[in-house]
Amino acid sequence: MRIQRLRTRIIIFFVALLALVQLAAFALVNAANSHNARHKVDEELSVGERVFERLLNQNAQNLTQDARVLAGDFAFREAVSTKDTATITSALANHGARIGAGAMLFVGLDGEVLADTLAPQKVPRRFEYPQLLQQHGNAKGSSTADLGALSGKAFQLGAVPVLAPLPIGWIVVGLPVDDAFARDLRQLTSLDVSFVQYDATLGWRSLASTVDKDSEADLLRSLPARAVNSSSSLAATLSGDVHQIRLLPLSDGHNLQIVAVLHRSLAEALATFGRLRKTLSMLAFASLALSILGSIVIALNITRPLSKIAGAAARIEQGDYSRSVEVERADEIGVLASSLNHMRQGIAERERKILTLAYQDPLTGLANRSRFSEELEAAIGLARTGANALGVSILLMDLDRFKYVNDALGHSVGDHVLKQVARRIEQIAAAASCVARLGGDEFAVLLSGASAEVVARTAQNIIAALESPILYQGQPLDVGTSIGIAHHPEHGADAQTLVRNADIAMYAAKRNKSGCQSYDPHYDTNQQEHLSLLGELRQAVEANELRLYYQPKVSLHSSNVNAVEALLRWHHPKRGIVAPALFIPFAEHTGYIKVLTQWVLAEAIRQCGEWCRNGLRLQISVNISARDLMNRELPDQIAALLASHDVPPVLLCLEITESGFMEDPAHAQKVLDRLAALGLRLAIDDYGTGYSSLSYIMKLPVQELKIDRSFISRMIGNADSSTIVRSTIELGHSLGMKVVAEGVEDLEGWNLLRHLGCDDAQGYYMSPPLPAEALMAWMRTHDGFSAAPEMGSAETALASQAGNP
Amino acid sequence: MRTFSGFTFAAACVALAGSATAANLEVVVHDLNAQALLDAVVYAEPISAPLPPSREIAHATIDQVNKEFVPLVTVVRTNTEITFPNSDDFRHSIYSFSGAKSFTTKLYSGKQAPPVLFDKPGLVVLGCNIHDMMAAWVVIVDTPYFGKTTAAGTSVLKGLEPGDYRLSVWYPGPQFQPSVREVHVGPDGAAVDVKVDSSGSSLPELRARERVHKH
Repeated sequence: MRIQRLRTRIIIFFVALLALVQLAAFALVNAANSHNARHKVDEELSVGERVFERLLNQNAQNLTQDARVLAGDFAFREAVSTKDTATITSALANHGARIGAGAMLFVGLDGEVLADTLAPQKVPRRFEYPQLLQQHGNAKGSSTADLGALSGKAFQLGAVPVLAPLPIGWIVVGLPVDDAFARDLRQLTSLDVSFVQYDATLGWRSLASTVDKDSEADLLRSLPARAVNSSSSLAATLSGDVHQIRLLPLSDGHNLQIVAVLHRSLAEALATFGRLRKTLSMLAFASLALSILGSIVIALNITRPLSKIAGAAARIEQGDYSRSVEVERADEIGVLASSLNHMRQGIAERERKILTLAYQDPLTGLANRSRFSEELEAAIGLARTGANALGVSILLMDLDRFKYVNDALGHSVGDHVLKQVARRIEQIAAAASCVARLGGDEFAVLLSGASAEVVARTAQNIIAALESPILYQGQPLDVGTSIGIAHHPEHGADAQTLVRNADIAMYAAKRNKSGCQSYDPHYDTNQQEHLSLLGELRQAVEANELRLYYQPKVSLHSSNVNAVEALLRWHHPKRGIVAPALFIPFAEHTGYIKVLTQWVLAEAIRQCGEWCRNGLRLQISVNISARDLMNRELPDQIAALLASHDVPPVLLCLEITESGFMEDPAHAQKVLDRLAALGLRLAIDDYGTGYSSLSYIMKLPVQELKIDRSFISRMIGNADSSTIVRSTIELGHSLGMKVVAEGVEDLEGWNLLRHLGCDDAQGYYMSPPLPAEALMAWMRTHDGFSAAPEMGSAETALASQAGNP
Repeated sequence: MRTFSGFTFAAACVALAGSATAANLEVVVHDLNAQALLDAVVYAEPISAPLPPSREIAHATIDQVNKEFVPLVTVVRTNTEITFPNSDDFRHSIYSFSGAKSFTTKLYSGKQAPPVLFDKPGLVVLGCNIHDMMAAWVVIVDTPYFGKTTAAGTSVLKGLEPGDYRLSVWYPGPQFQPSVREVHVGPDGAAVDVKVDSSGSSLPELRARERVHKH
């Protein structure tokens, strides 16, 4: 198990260390104590032994002293000399009682016991301990003491001679060696004293002891099974206590040996140490408790601020930088805490900057797309709770002519314009929840809880505000905007949908030039249709559902047909013919236009080649989108197609809208230059709808200019439009270009264009777009068209064509 | 001079008895180590001949000088009165628990103590009740032929009628058990060498103390 918590580890370490040290100390003290106790007991036994011997001697002295009094008694001596046994015995008994002797004997010079107070009838007999008498066989009257058994009882014996005046016998005094005697000795030696007797046949027998019967029995069992010749030591367990034992042989007579046993309980000796041990244990427990307490305090002291710091770090992790870590300490933890505080401030500061960068458009200072999305989501979230009955509206707008300003006048001007626009929108939409620049020239306004009127008014005000030109170095720049409006909840449940729908609305507004448009689900249907189209469109290419229709371009000078415009038609198996407007923009949007263009180019060139082989030199115009221009391989692909169908490059004309160049004019020019170098013809389509600068157009290798149908349809009865048409024709001619008018739908237009000097005309007045076979049929019915000679010869065909378009 | 009063008396007796044909018995006493023993008691009793008649009462003296009996060993014939003069400045009280003569005197000084008649043969050990260390031996014999050995261990018994004698030699010790032998004394007398066990005797000790006092 690993201990995870620092606090626990610190506590365990300290406590274990202390416990170990204390255990070791305790063991040492214990061992020392035990050793000391043994040593002490040994010493006590040695001292006890000396004291014991001294005591025995002293006892003997006392005994003999007392006996000597009797021995000196004249009457007693008289009784002895007269051998009056009865008198002697009674005198001995009398004196014995006086001095507390248990036995008094009179022994004659010949060693015969003549009187015995203990066993009066057992006289005369040999005295059992003659050596006691011999020890002072001389008549000097010195005394001696020894231990011996009389009548089965142990006595300390003393003998004094009876002098008359020479020795005539001995008085033997016996002090009973009984428990009381042992107790007396114990009192003086502080040792347990036992007297034991060894009998060769019966073994050891206890005579007296200071210990209880059990210990006594244990003691007897632990003695060696033989007589003890000299003082010796041994250890034995008595009643569970270890005793150090000293054996002192005291007498050796009549094959009986009396041994004094001095013993001392080790446990008793250890008792004093036991107190020390108890104190030590208490001390150990107290210090252990204190150390636990201390280490808890220390650990807490370390871990509590660490936990605090960890908590603070967790808060920082969650992005809460408001609170500082409050650890006021001078140590490393304090330093850590203050470092964390610095870090917190640093992170907070950096995050603030990052947030600013992340949520603010650096150019205009408005919110950026991310910020707008978040605000919008928040507003929707709020609206969902019902807090906002009026819902959420967004206005999405981009500047109509910004691209041209930016391209023509440079980015610094563009930036200036964007800033000004931002200021104006901000001013008007002061009450808005959020005003953001989503990117490029795209702006958005979030109105939360605003009524439909307020929203509409705000949109109108923005349009009005952006209609007044923006001044740059005194020069007025005209931008203008289209606004798409979407309203939560009806136009979208979530932010993404709402923005998308606002975008759709904005494009709708742009399309119908209404300036401002609220989202209509109808647009979305189109959108859905587009989506479903993508799959079908792919299938269309594979299933060969696409067809090329050709609309003839008729020379206004000769009425001859020299060229046709290839137009894509989709023969949908279910829907019938699908108008290009329904899928081309979509294809442009999704990038699928590339595939379509490939198909169209291949088919057109193939058709052209077929016609050529049939002797019909018809120039075919193919529409190229802006995206196609971005395709670097386009020139090579076209060259390959022309070569494979053996079509001269001059018979292929690529029509490009103004916006086609304007996406990336520099790149477009490069591609166009390469296409021109192939010998292809290039035409500007829908001229007049864009804002192409003339100076730019002049640089392009373009041979043809196609005036947008909107001008042609409006020129009859409209002086402005007819002026534009005329000036465009003049402009084209002055640039050396052929000018083609599209959307010619009646004779009036035809005539007017002829009058204005336009070169070619295209339109329903002459012919709608037709499949190749139908075109051939049409060409045959209009004699002269089919011949398609040189430009010059077209003049001749004009007269026949004029009245029969 | 008083010391030898006993001998004077004995010599007188011998002289009287051996008036016709008298012979001497010379006894030499050694201990077991062949050392001459001083103050061994020697006496001879005729085995078949009757004892010569004794006078009514004989006299002897045992003085007390410096807490010592003087002499330490005395041999007397039965019916001898011994006087115990006290030459010390302090008083003594003489006693005896011996079977041959048991007596005690009161505390006395000078010549206050009455003489004591020793009328039975045997050994009497004298002591003083005041001074435990004082001891003296009095051997009472029923014969006129007795004596003590000199430092050379010799004792000459004089005036013996030739014949057979029972010779007893005793050295003062704890028990009165004389060494006894029969000796034939011819007209020229006889000489006997006797060995006795002197161990256990307290006499040399007493004498040594006496010597210390004398010096």
